[in-house]
Amino acid sequence: MMQRSTLPMRDTFGRLLAELGKTNKDLVVITADVGNSTRAMYFRETFPDRYFNVGISEQDMVNFAAGLAAAGFKPLVVNFAMFLMRAWEQIRNSIARMNLDVKLAVTHSGYSDSGDGSSHQALEDIALMRTLPNMKIIIPADSADVKRTLPVVVNELRGPLYYRMGRDYTPVITEGLDYDFKLGKGYVLKDGEDLTIMGAGVVLYDALKAAEELEKMGISTAVINLLSIKPIDEDLIEYYARKTGRIITIEEHSIYGGIGSAVAEVVVKRYPVPMRFIGATTFGRSARSERDLLDFYGINSKSIINAALELVK
Amino acid sequence: MEGGGHDGTPISIEELNKLKSIAERARKNVVRMLFYDQTIHVGSSLSSIEILTTLLFKYIREGKDPINRDWLILSKGHAAPALYALLVEKGYISEDELWKIQDISGLLQGHPETFIPGIDMSTGSLGQGLSFGVGVAQGIKMRGGNGRVFVIMGDGEQDEGEIWEAMTHAVARKVDNLIAFIEMNGFQLDAATSEVKPKDFLPDVWRAVGWKVLSCDGHDFISLINTIDEALKAKAPVVIFAKTRRGMGFKAIENTVNQRASPDDAKKYLTNA
Repeated sequence: MMQRSTLPMRDTFGRLLAELGKTNKDLVVITADVGNSTRAMYFRETFPDRYFNVGISEQDMVNFAAGLAAAGFKPLVVNFAMFLMRAWEQIRNSIARMNLDVKLAVTHSGYSDSGDGSSHQALEDIALMRTLPNMKIIIPADSADVKRTLPVVVNELRGPLYYRMGRDYTPVITEGLDYDFKLGKGYVLKDGEDLTIMGAGVVLYDALKAAEELEKMGISTAVINLLSIKPIDEDLIEYYARKTGRIITIEEHSIYGGIGSAVAEVVVKRYPVPMRFIGATTFGRSARSERDLLDFYGINSKSIINAALELVK
Repeated sequence: MEGGGHDGTPISIEELNKLKSIAERARKNVVRMLFYDQTIHVGSSLSSIEILTTLLFKYIREGKDPINRDWLILSKGHAAPALYALLVEKGYISEDELWKIQDISGLLQGHPETFIPGIDMSTGSLGQGLSFGVGVAQGIKMRGGNGRVFVIMGDGEQDEGEIWEAMTHAVARKVDNLIAFIEMNGFQLDAATSEVKPKDFLPDVWRAVGWKVLSCDGHDFISLINTIDEALKAKAPVVIFAKTRRGMGFKAIENTVNQRASPDDAKKYLTNA
């Protein structure tokens, strides 16, 4: 499988957001001095009066957005995943507790801010958001996923929502697939009989790559794009637990409390099968590319294949 | 800086007496809550009674339209019992609810929640109300509404870093429909503010940042009204440093670090009052 490239997810996001602002007059965008890096700048260029850079003040950013929501606007907060977590308590105590219609869109999640190193790499954010009542979590896999989810997120879904993206590394995963996004629904990227790989985000590229290799070894492997992590597609997870009897999860996040944990909660409740978890177990470090970090920490197709062989033997 | 800025209609004796009697009933009801729950923050609540009474019964314009009504944000959420007692006076909640405060069967939580009638923001974690208030005030201005936003904070609360973020942000946004109160009662949770971290420099800081800074006696209605009238004319966000006493009027704990008193103390106070 060739790794094709498209526009990085953050660019697709930023341009689409500016488009959505044309019809959604209540949409306001708030950031804490990372408008250029997150590509919120496209919205600023189109709608300067509905764009707020609050300065390097993440806590204030979150509660300011909460106030705008209370006054009747539809705020979308845009920030680096890591530094939004600085305001986790504000997200918890204001946005989630009052169930306000504030969307939190992040870029630079996972290892995607490769060069800046561990201070900038958010590997705990899914766990922190998942535990919040009222919070929804959407993780697009690539630019095509951004295009099918963002309009629904901005125009149709109400209440607190965490939208997780990376920086530049955006392999093509879901381009051309016929799928209409619905909150709480995942979708099948590839069907299979012996094993299912489940995950979300750019690492699904490695899931597909591993599935292709495993097919050559005679192991029929399904790949699921969960996409909606909260609520999660319990029926789809159960269906593939029953159908294939083995599950591997992959995520660009800590395996403690992240996507693998979310899947395991469903599997244990609905239909227990053996599982393996691929993801981070400690802090990251600097590298020249996100790809180098995924390989360095073993969040890649090789690890999936090893785990698959262990499960199938 | 007390006085000045009368809006031309001095308060009548009748109105003054009305405010006084409302505040007195609310004060007694806060103390009365001690018969039912001894863990509420009585000291901080009694510090806020006159400020809340003045705002709720003289200034706050109610309504359903979020941009054409006034907002009251109790950022020092631990003074919730005072707000609840005054929401009873306003008719938002029944007096019986007060006696079920913090009880599993009751409506009233230890800190404000928006599911309680009359509450504009869920608070309880300090330092968050001002940012929220800046957001509401900005939203009102964007839509051309006439709503005003009142935020009430404590002096101990000023330790929070988010206050700095919001204080500087309000000036950048030029939200002149925002009035913040800081109750200078001289105590925070563990000890006197002077022992924990000095607060005397605060008015200078707010002024330097670009706020219009006023001060008043936070238990004196005339001082409060004169100062709020002046604040409402300002073309900048206004902060009012209100000198108050923790536990005001309740001798068992007045002007001490103590938040709580026994039902016996409450009984003594209510009998003598």
